[in-house]
Amino acid sequence: MNAPLAQGLEHWLPAPDAGPDWLKERRQQARACLSAQALPHSKQEAWRYTSLKGLLEQRFRAIDALPSVVRREDLAAVLIPGLDAHRVVLVNGRFAPELSALDELPDGARVGGLRDWLGRDPESLRDRLDAVRGESNAYFALLNTAGLDDGLVVWLGAGVRLERPLELIQLSVGLDEPRVAQPRHLVQLEAGAQATLIERYVGLGASPYCTNAVIEVALGRAARLRHERLQMEGHNAFHLAGVYVVQDADSHYAGLHIGLGARWARTELNTRFRGEHAEAVLQGLYLAGDGQLLDYHLDIEHAVPHCRSAEGFKGLLIGQGRAVFDGRVLVAKGAQGSDAAMSNRNLILSEQAEIDTKPQLEIQADDVRCSHGTTVGQLEPELLFYLRSRGIDAAQAQRMLCLGFAGEIIDQLGSEAVRGQVAAVIEQRLDEGSGSGASDDGAFEPAPDVSRRT
Amino acid sequence: MLSVKGLRANVGDQEILKGLDLEVGPGEVHAIMGPNGSGKSTLSHVLAGREGYRVTAGSVTFVGQDLLALEPEERARLGLFLAFQYPVELPGVNNTAFLKAALNSLRKARGEPELDAVAFLRLIKDKLRVLHLDESLLKRPVNVGFSGGEKKRNEIFQMALLEPRLAILDETDSGLDIDALRGVAEGINALRAPERSMILVTHYQRLLDYIQPDYVHVLAQGRIIRSGGKELALELEEKGYGWIDAELAA
Repeated sequence: MNAPLAQGLEHWLPAPDAGPDWLKERRQQARACLSAQALPHSKQEAWRYTSLKGLLEQRFRAIDALPSVVRREDLAAVLIPGLDAHRVVLVNGRFAPELSALDELPDGARVGGLRDWLGRDPESLRDRLDAVRGESNAYFALLNTAGLDDGLVVWLGAGVRLERPLELIQLSVGLDEPRVAQPRHLVQLEAGAQATLIERYVGLGASPYCTNAVIEVALGRAARLRHERLQMEGHNAFHLAGVYVVQDADSHYAGLHIGLGARWARTELNTRFRGEHAEAVLQGLYLAGDGQLLDYHLDIEHAVPHCRSAEGFKGLLIGQGRAVFDGRVLVAKGAQGSDAAMSNRNLILSEQAEIDTKPQLEIQADDVRCSHGTTVGQLEPELLFYLRSRGIDAAQAQRMLCLGFAGEIIDQLGSEAVRGQVAAVIEQRLDEGSGSGASDDGAFEPAPDVSRRT
Repeated sequence: MLSVKGLRANVGDQEILKGLDLEVGPGEVHAIMGPNGSGKSTLSHVLAGREGYRVTAGSVTFVGQDLLALEPEERARLGLFLAFQYPVELPGVNNTAFLKAALNSLRKARGEPELDAVAFLRLIKDKLRVLHLDESLLKRPVNVGFSGGEKKRNEIFQMALLEPRLAILDETDSGLDIDALRGVAEGINALRAPERSMILVTHYQRLLDYIQPDYVHVLAQGRIIRSGGKELALELEEKGYGWIDAELAA
């Protein structure tokens, strides 16, 4: 038996330890790694700008018995009107089949809850689950593995195309005590398969909660995934996410990251090419206001020749908002003909806001095309004057320019309904000036006829 | 309509306008001509309310109000319009949304109801037709990727839509080839109206071949040193600006 984890993180792990033996072993290994590691601290480069203090103070605990308090009517509040999608809903990290809509999937597409899948067909996951995360020693991804329990599994057979997007709603309901959910998602597209995944994080109620999610994506030869992540957690939430992508030859991954919610959100994006001529395009947009820290860490690994990666992240900082962009591209020895471009552009609208941005290229091959750049600036007075000279007041002019800045990323979202929703939230946040925008309505109140499921 | 009296303005420590007087009545078209550095653009910017200028003396009254006490958007709502010499690009700001926000803010200030989307689109399409502009302009971000001529024509298009009482056209002819100039001038002429005044700020006489001003003023070293009818423009064309230095030195 291992020593208990530091700082009460022991309580993040659910009991009992269920599932097949190989899974128990994997959890055990992750636990052992954690016991042997110190907690992340500010002397580590990846944690230079962030402190765990606020998170640890909350004393989060895993949810042992899930209260199934969310009904279809409650779900309506978090749906995006007009978004036509296959839908999977997780409530506090637990797959909720009664809220999901998966009956129109094409042949060759299997989508379901991880826990159910482990119960029915554990062998099919043995070599896949946790394989993309691989040997990463990222602390919170290990913690997720040590508590691996439920989440989403998507498997598309060779050549299968999902015409409609698959929407994954991860709804966190504020409970009477601070709870943590650690969902694990596995998305596997076999050769030539194509899909759009819209991964959304939303909260109901204002109580603090924590999400520590890991998503593993494996793209087969020439598979294509558009992966839109919309982080709109409640304003007292903590959001930790590790996104691990591995790409075979000729595959294409388009990641779009929208970060608007949470008190602290840390997103770690890891992309690794293992076949030639694969392509990864990662774009992001974050808006940080009072009391918010949005923290992005990118690790792009060109391990083989002739792949292309492009990362473009944009940030809006208002009030006392803070953000971190820490991007790293590694072009390994022998990865000739690699093409990598990374940019991070920020607009700071207040003197109290702060951005720490640090793109890095590490190039060990000699025949490559790589670039990176960052900008941090304020709205240009000439642009504001132009709008005001047409009768538009200063506040609206500022909002229009910010939305214009954000628009470059918003326009990349595949669905009109999603674009509208994201633009509306940003506009509302800019209107409010600084706050994180969620209403302060206390813990989520379930409808009176609550049913409980354990 | 507009009354400028003894206007002095600085950029930093340098005085650019040195006691400028100008009276513009309803429906009048005034041309202000002058060499580079005479203060033409400063005058346009001070009237429109751009930051970076300090008025040290004088007054500006526009439709009975103290113009210099107003914010730029308040000036626009009173009916002042500046067509920029260098219209800025607004990345990501859709032209239609921009025009709608501008028009509705002006309508609101005038106590008129805001236009709904249908009525608005009908209106801008009418205006586009009059100016021979392509509808694709509406879908693009404001001025982004526009040629110099397109930017200037977009200014005139905005003027047509916003229907100002006083339009200040700052070097609208600069950077245009002769065809583009003719197109822009036609647009401006179409907007001449008994209740609409215009100030054409220009270095060259050639714009005035297409737009006939009622008055021409020569601006030099921050003051209007001569005023006259349209024949003054021809005289300037003939003699250049060299004589001004001689006159000022005398």
